[in-house]
Amino acid sequence: MNDIILKADNIVKHFYEPEKFQVLKGLSFEVKKGEFLALVGKSGCGKSTLMYVLSTMDTDYEGILTIKDTVLTNQSQNQLAAFRNENIGFVFQFHYLLPEFSALENVMIPALKLKKYAKAEIEERAYKNLEMLGLKDQALKKVTKLSGGQQQRVAIARALINDPAIIMGDEPTGNLDTANTQIVFDIFRELAKERKQTIIAVTHDDDFANNCDRIIEMKDGQIV
Amino acid sequence: MFSSINNRISQIHLTSNVKQTVVAMLGVTFGISMYIFMTGFMTGVNDIQADLAFSALAHVRIYNDGPADNSNIARKVFPNDLINVRNAKVIKYTDGIKNSTSILNTLSKQKDITGFTSQVNINVFFKNAGNKVNGLVSGIDVVSEDKVFGSAKHMLQGNWNELKYRSDGIFIGVELARILGLKMNDNVNILTSEGVSRNYKVIGIFRTDVYNVDKTKAYIAINAARQLLGVNQDYVTDIQIDMVDYNNTQPLIDNIKAIIPYKVESWQMGNQQLVAGSSLRDTIAKAVSLTILLVAGFGIYNIMNMTINQKIREIAILKAMGFSGGDVTKIFLTQAIIIGILGGMVGIILGNIISHLVNRVKFEVAGMHHLPMTYYPHNYLFAFLFGLITTFVAGYLPAHKASKIDPVSILRG
Repeated sequence: MNDIILKADNIVKHFYEPEKFQVLKGLSFEVKKGEFLALVGKSGCGKSTLMYVLSTMDTDYEGILTIKDTVLTNQSQNQLAAFRNENIGFVFQFHYLLPEFSALENVMIPALKLKKYAKAEIEERAYKNLEMLGLKDQALKKVTKLSGGQQQRVAIARALINDPAIIMGDEPTGNLDTANTQIVFDIFRELAKERKQTIIAVTHDDDFANNCDRIIEMKDGQIV
Repeated sequence: MFSSINNRISQIHLTSNVKQTVVAMLGVTFGISMYIFMTGFMTGVNDIQADLAFSALAHVRIYNDGPADNSNIARKVFPNDLINVRNAKVIKYTDGIKNSTSILNTLSKQKDITGFTSQVNINVFFKNAGNKVNGLVSGIDVVSEDKVFGSAKHMLQGNWNELKYRSDGIFIGVELARILGLKMNDNVNILTSEGVSRNYKVIGIFRTDVYNVDKTKAYIAINAARQLLGVNQDYVTDIQIDMVDYNNTQPLIDNIKAIIPYKVESWQMGNQQLVAGSSLRDTIAKAVSLTILLVAGFGIYNIMNMTINQKIREIAILKAMGFSGGDVTKIFLTQAIIIGILGGMVGIILGNIISHLVNRVKFEVAGMHHLPMTYYPHNYLFAFLFGLITTFVAGYLPAHKASKIDPVSILRG
């Protein structure tokens, strides 16, 4: 019904070190379901800061954040963690997989935490995700034995495991070569188009940004 | 339990760096094994001391400590009058315990008593061929004396029970025999303070390993002693009592003190230094071993801190994926507890082995052959529990810190 999957309302944030500095100056915008959104801007404009506020991991801000019709501002850490687990998938610049586990296990972990499905079913869905990303044969390998591009794809598979409302990426292709960047971009593209997956990605890469559905450009803590 | 994802993560952490886990375990193992060994040893020493002491000392002793009431007798008769007594003197009222039979009856009705024995103890001179030694002749009831003091096992020569049948027989201590140059079947002369002199035949020699006792003590049959003093069958000088729990003498004393008009004294009252010594040793042993366990706790704290610092990015990722602070605490606390349990179990086994090894070291002093040791289960249980508690606390602090990590600051790099 309501097509708006995320709503930011007058988000304000300050840094206090080394001195008080207003990094987000009252940002308001809406994101529709299925949008592939790029958040761009020069270094220091506050785009990553904004993304971490949207991720629910940063609670030190003023304003109201609403995702999937749930107001997240002022919820407790535990409530936000549970919400994150179910509704948000992350892809970071440094893939940040758990090194002691295999690719399959890494993908399964957020679902095992959510406990919505039985373990056997989770394993099957994890396999499906890896297959969709072309990594079925690497499923049981320890992630440290995979290449950078492969690891990033495992991270994407992990981000998808709980069918999240939004996938948030912080420079998801920042650490990849051109070929792998293209692969990851194509995956995101397809997720947005075919599965109506909402994606918000912070990126430095202009090519990446220009190929998204929508760009939000920031400068000095404001949207331009 | 292991099916939960938190526990799976804890398990992976523990097994992915086995060396670190083992080092942490070793700290607990060492602490617990030392606690068990030291407490076992110290308790063993205390027990030996108690045994040695109680080979000559009963738990409770009843004797005539002089007239109980040396207050003004006249005041008892004329309580409201003004009375002045000058130069009050204590006359020789009575030595010893006169109505022993009724006292023994009272004792046989008490349920905390494991045994009692009557004695007629007389200060005498032992004389042989011009040599004179001051000492104590103890007139004993042969059967119950052995029951309370275990005297029969001290016999070097001769048979303990023979004293029952020989009213002219005497057992003497090995040092007394040496000083007076006495052998089995020699005669020894006894001279009491009243000037009564009598000869007895040495039918046994004993060694208690308490030098003063072996040098000054001799046993004769209780009726022979009564004859020496010229008193009747009801007369004793001491009644020695053994109890079920020698640490708990006060209830019995309170019970019988009222009915018995003589001094009822516990071993603690008469031997404060033994009580002090024993409890000081206990305190030292516990303090040292608990300190060791605490040091082990520090070891665990350090290692848990290190582990968490190494895994700080993982913690941030877990939080990004939706693991709560409580989940993070649980994950690391579980690791600490497992280390505590495994380390504790190995520690108990090791402590037991060390105890056995030390127990076999030769130690030929005061009648012992090996170093003493005890293996009381409650010490093992306490060691394990304390180890577990230390581990829990040592692990909780870093785990709690981990739960408070701000993922944003870590993920942004």
